[in-house]
Amino acid sequence: METVSALVLIFLSAAIINNFVLYYFVGICPFLGVSRKIGMAFGMGLAVTFVISIAAFLSWAFTFYILRAGAPIPTQVWALLGGDPETTVDLSVLSYIIYIFVIASSVQFVEMYVRKFFPALYKSFGVFLPLITTNCAILFACLEILKHLQDPMNLWGLHEALALAIGGGIGFTIAISLMAGLREELDMCDVPKALRGTGIALLVAGILAMAFMGFTGVDKGLANALAMLSN
Amino acid sequence: MLTTITLILAALVLSLLAVAMGWVLGWANKAFYVEVDPKVASVNAALPGANCGGCGYVGCMEYAEAVAAGEADITLCGPGGASCVEQMGAIMGKEVGETFPYRAVIHCAANRDARLQLMPYTGEPTCAAANLVAGVQGCTYGCLGLGDCATACTYAAIDIKNGLAVINYDKCVGCKACAVVCPRNIITMVPFRQERMLVVACCNQDAGNDVKAVCKVGCIGCKACTRNSPLFHMEGNAPVIDYDHYTPEVSFDMVLSKCPMESLIFVGKPSPKDLAKTEGEHVPERIEADFKTTVDETEWRG
Repeated sequence: METVSALVLIFLSAAIINNFVLYYFVGICPFLGVSRKIGMAFGMGLAVTFVISIAAFLSWAFTFYILRAGAPIPTQVWALLGGDPETTVDLSVLSYIIYIFVIASSVQFVEMYVRKFFPALYKSFGVFLPLITTNCAILFACLEILKHLQDPMNLWGLHEALALAIGGGIGFTIAISLMAGLREELDMCDVPKALRGTGIALLVAGILAMAFMGFTGVDKGLANALAMLSN
Repeated sequence: MLTTITLILAALVLSLLAVAMGWVLGWANKAFYVEVDPKVASVNAALPGANCGGCGYVGCMEYAEAVAAGEADITLCGPGGASCVEQMGAIMGKEVGETFPYRAVIHCAANRDARLQLMPYTGEPTCAAANLVAGVQGCTYGCLGLGDCATACTYAAIDIKNGLAVINYDKCVGCKACAVVCPRNIITMVPFRQERMLVVACCNQDAGNDVKAVCKVGCIGCKACTRNSPLFHMEGNAPVIDYDHYTPEVSFDMVLSKCPMESLIFVGKPSPKDLAKTEGEHVPERIEADFKTTVDETEWRG
C-alpha cells in the first residue's frame, strides 16, 4: 500500500506539481519549437514520453548495476581482476557521458522505428525527432534517478524510476498540448507587431508557468495526507 | 589506487557499451530499413541544387520528392533550364515539349535622367522603404533604383545603372527572387524563346499627359502597337505582349517604327546590327571575379 501511494506521489509530482517544463524549465526547445499545432504537439509529447521511459529504464539499470558507488558489477569485475573485493568502486563520474550515450542511441532507435511504421508521424516531426537527443527533460529525468540512487537510505527501484519518467513524459505532453492550444488561439488574436512570434510565445509560456506555480507544495500536502490516512 | 580502478573500469564499461549499442543500432538499421523511391535521388541529382525556391517548394529535395510522386510539373525549375527538364523527363518517363528558360524582365526604361519630378530622398536606402514615401519621384509605377532586386539576386545578375535596375542576361537564371522583392511589381518572368526578346519597358497606367509630366520615355498609351501587331493588347493604359505567340518569325519593325516613345526595347543578347554600331568604340574588357581562396586551391562554392 505504501509503495503504491509513494509511486502515485512520484508520478503526480513529476506530471503536474513539479512539471518538468513549467517548474524546472527543462525541455524548453521542443516546448517552443513544436507547439504550433495541437496534433503535432501531442505527437511530440508522446514521442518524448516514449523515449524518456526507455532512457529511464536503461539509465536506472546502468546506474544501479554499474555507475553508483558500490554497484555490484564493477566490484565483482574488480575482484575478478584480482583486486580487493572490499574496495568501493564509484563510476558515477561516467554518468553524464553514459546517459547522453543511452539517450542518443535510444532516440536513433526510435527514429528508425517511427520511420518504418509511422511515416506520416516521421514526416511531421521533421527535425524535431533527432532534437529529442538533446532534450534536457530526458537528461534531467536520468539525473534525478541518479540522485535517488546515490542516497542509500531511500534507494529507488525500477518502478519508481519508471513512475518518474512516465509522469515526466505525460507532464511534458500536458504542458506542450496546453501551449499548442493557447498558441492556436493566439493566431486569431491581434498581437502587437513587436511581440509577434516567439516574443508572445515566451510571454504566454511564462504566464502558464506562473499558473502552474499554484501547485507548489501540493506534493508535500498529499504526502502528509496519505501518511495520516495510513496511520 | 582507487583512481586506477576507476580508470580501468570506466574504459571497460564505455567500450563494452559502445560495442553493444553499435550492434543494436546496426541490427535496427537493417530490420527497420525503409525503401526510398530511387527516383527521388536521381531527380534531385538532375536539379541544380541551388535551393532558390523559384519552383514554389522549400528546396530542391522537396521539389524532387513532389516530382517523383507525380505531384509537380517537371518544368518548374528555372535555374536548371532545358537540360534539367530533359533529364527529369527521362527519369519520370515524360514526353518533354519545347521549353524555354524564363528570365526576369524589368518593365521600366527610365534611368535617373529620364525621370522627372525627382525629390532628394535621404531615408533608408531600400526600394521597400522609399515606396512608402510619396513624392520620391514623379512616376508612381516605375523603378525606384535603390536596388532591392540587386540585393535579392544571389547570382549578381542585376546592376543599378544610373538609378535603373538592368539585368545581365549572361548571369540571370530565372529564380524569381527579384520579382518577389520588387515593391512596385515591375519585374515579371518572360519565356525567352530567342536570345533577344522585345519587352514593353513601361508599366505606367496613367493617361498620356500625366506620363509625360513624370517621365521622358514612358508609354503614353497611344495604342499604336496594338493596331500594328496582333501580339499586343492593352491592359489598363499600358500595352502587354502575348509571349505565347511570340515566335522568331514575327517581325516587330512596324511596331517599333510606330512607337512614339522609347517604351518598346529589346533585351537579352545584342543583335548583329547593335554590335556593328559599337564596333569602333572602345569597350572595356570584362573582369571576371577570380574565386580562389588563399587557404588552398580547392573549388570554392561559398
